[in-house]
Amino acid sequence: METKLLENRLKESGSSGNLYLGIDVGSVSTKIAIINEDRELVFGMWSRSQGSPVQSTQESFGNLGESLDDDVGCRIMGVGTTGSARYLVKAIVGADIAKTEIICQAVATSFYMPGVRTILEIGGQDNKVILMKDGIITDFAMNSICAAGTGSFLDHQANRLGIPIEKFGDYAAKSEVDVVIAGRCTVFAESDMVHKQQMGHSKEDIIAGLCEALARNYLNNVCKGKKLNSPIAFQGGVAANSAIRKAFQKELGCEINVHKYFLVMGAVGAAMLAREQVRAENLKTSFRGFKVSETKFIPKAFNCQGCNNRCEITYVQELVGEIVARWGDRCGKWTL
Amino acid sequence: MSEGKRLVAFPHMGNNWPAFKSLFENAGAEAYVPGKNNARGLECGLKFSPEWICLPFKITIANFIEALDKGVKTIVMASDCGPCRFGFYHAVQEKILKDLGYDVEIKCLLQADLLTFEWADLLQSIRGTRLPLSRFKLLWIARIFFMKLQLIQLAEKLEGKTRPYEVRRGETTKALERCLKMIDEAGTHQQLRGLKHLIKEEFAKVEKAGREKIILKVVLTGEIFVALDCFANQDVKKKLGELGCEVCMGISLYDWVKHKAHVNFHRKYLEYLSKSHRDIGGLQLDIGGEAFWVLGQYIDFSRGGIDGFVHVYPFTCMPEITAKSIITKWYNDGIFDVPPLFLGFDEHAGEAGLMTRLEAYTDLLRTKKKKLINGN
Repeated sequence: METKLLENRLKESGSSGNLYLGIDVGSVSTKIAIINEDRELVFGMWSRSQGSPVQSTQESFGNLGESLDDDVGCRIMGVGTTGSARYLVKAIVGADIAKTEIICQAVATSFYMPGVRTILEIGGQDNKVILMKDGIITDFAMNSICAAGTGSFLDHQANRLGIPIEKFGDYAAKSEVDVVIAGRCTVFAESDMVHKQQMGHSKEDIIAGLCEALARNYLNNVCKGKKLNSPIAFQGGVAANSAIRKAFQKELGCEINVHKYFLVMGAVGAAMLAREQVRAENLKTSFRGFKVSETKFIPKAFNCQGCNNRCEITYVQELVGEIVARWGDRCGKWTL
Repeated sequence: MSEGKRLVAFPHMGNNWPAFKSLFENAGAEAYVPGKNNARGLECGLKFSPEWICLPFKITIANFIEALDKGVKTIVMASDCGPCRFGFYHAVQEKILKDLGYDVEIKCLLQADLLTFEWADLLQSIRGTRLPLSRFKLLWIARIFFMKLQLIQLAEKLEGKTRPYEVRRGETTKALERCLKMIDEAGTHQQLRGLKHLIKEEFAKVEKAGREKIILKVVLTGEIFVALDCFANQDVKKKLGELGCEVCMGISLYDWVKHKAHVNFHRKYLEYLSKSHRDIGGLQLDIGGEAFWVLGQYIDFSRGGIDGFVHVYPFTCMPEITAKSIITKWYNDGIFDVPPLFLGFDEHAGEAGLMTRLEAYTDLLRTKKKKLINGN
């Protein structure tokens, strides 16, 4: 499994003091962040995941074991989860809170970049824009039904062109001619690219055109005429791509900031919110420890036959033991 | 089914079925109440609806097919000569059903102006007997209908107010079900008059927690079918309630019927509000759906008293999208400062996305309110 260690200052920060853990399980990657009592990031890890959220979390925890001392697990005072699988992961690791990516991103970003007004977030399957004022969210939007312009689309195209996604920025920088590619729809964008390739345009120009199309698509379909005030922060996996960042700068006409922790910002936010919650309510964390990675969980599903809605009920069970979580029903008969 | 009585079906819209049931039964017909709207029914509705039509059309046609399969031959569908395509639904639906081979007659309940008493002809025609309904009886039927709608409105209001405080999840929903059953069973004025008290008691019985956490007050409004039917809006009201919001319904069928009988003065006021904001883009006339009044409500509520404004509509609903764009502009330009949330519904079942939006929205409102309370 591909992993990136963004920060590891656990050794320097000593062996005592409270820590808070944040987990962000997205569609293509799992992010883990540990912060200390002063909200500083002491450990951050990103890993690409392909399995179910349960597997991804467990694998990430397994990898953690190598970089962490045993006592770290005992010093964790609160755990927060975020991402689309937040409730599932919360049930599995025994987290204290599960919050949406939107609020987590906002909390963490306004800590690292006080005064930030706009957060652009492009992840694997989701696009979001968050507008803030004086440290609180005033508005937000998400892509609704279309995945055009998300990280997965870029990934797919990189594969098609035979270029590693990490090199996209370098390639685009070498572009000399402006190539226009339709960004409204993934399918049309792809046929546009094929066409341009056959016309004899270079890969570099096509990649630059693609990045600009993605930025345009994002601004039209997600931001939809919202007023984007600077300072603007750019986050999520796609922020690693310098060509997209440049395309945004060109379209918006202002500086786009990418913080060095942009990959784990959501997880950091989850940890911060967990810290707040635990401190405010004097909670004792229900964290089950990093050894959760060794427990075997079985996700299962069935169709409830109670009424004509035929809800799909999903649940997670320990191999030997009880059901950890169950949801998916409209009426509340099964929810645990 | 008793001998000689005609079996009549009608669309299932939210919690309003007891009122319609009594309307047709009192007129002398037998009422068939379609089951609660559900995913299976919708699948069937999708199969026989035009692709670009809105969700209410798809759900109602599913109701009709269910009824027809049970032997119903007469269906009553509302119609309007308003500016949106809803006015043609009954005709198109009849054609679709006939093409499918059903022997069906869709009678149209013209709601454009209830004071023309066209509905009296409709009630007469479903009676199955030539014996005319007396004027006294007609007014009595209408009265019962009104009283039931009013009680349903009350129950829905209390439901929204009670849910964020409930200790055990689901109790409020159960209380609502009990109230609807009582409303359905009551048949006379006297019984209905007594119900008001019983409904309040029913919700008072729900065990409530203290008020230590911040409870938000949110308005739920928008296109009437989607706003009122909890299947169509994927239980938005319940979800908001469980996230700690008192949900105030901006719309009810009682409200709408009163409006069509020209006795809804609150709506007149909302119209005035929208009209008087002409300079910033307020609508000047009814463009269909609820757009005209939604704008009025947004202006009205922005003057205080609420934290959030949730606007729901079926995907492809022209009037509501117009209202949405106007409200978005007002909010972005800083003319009003209640954050709106817009939710368009169609057949998709993407619940995770809806939950993320609702959670983020309530978090947004909560931080805003906390800041207001703490004064910094």
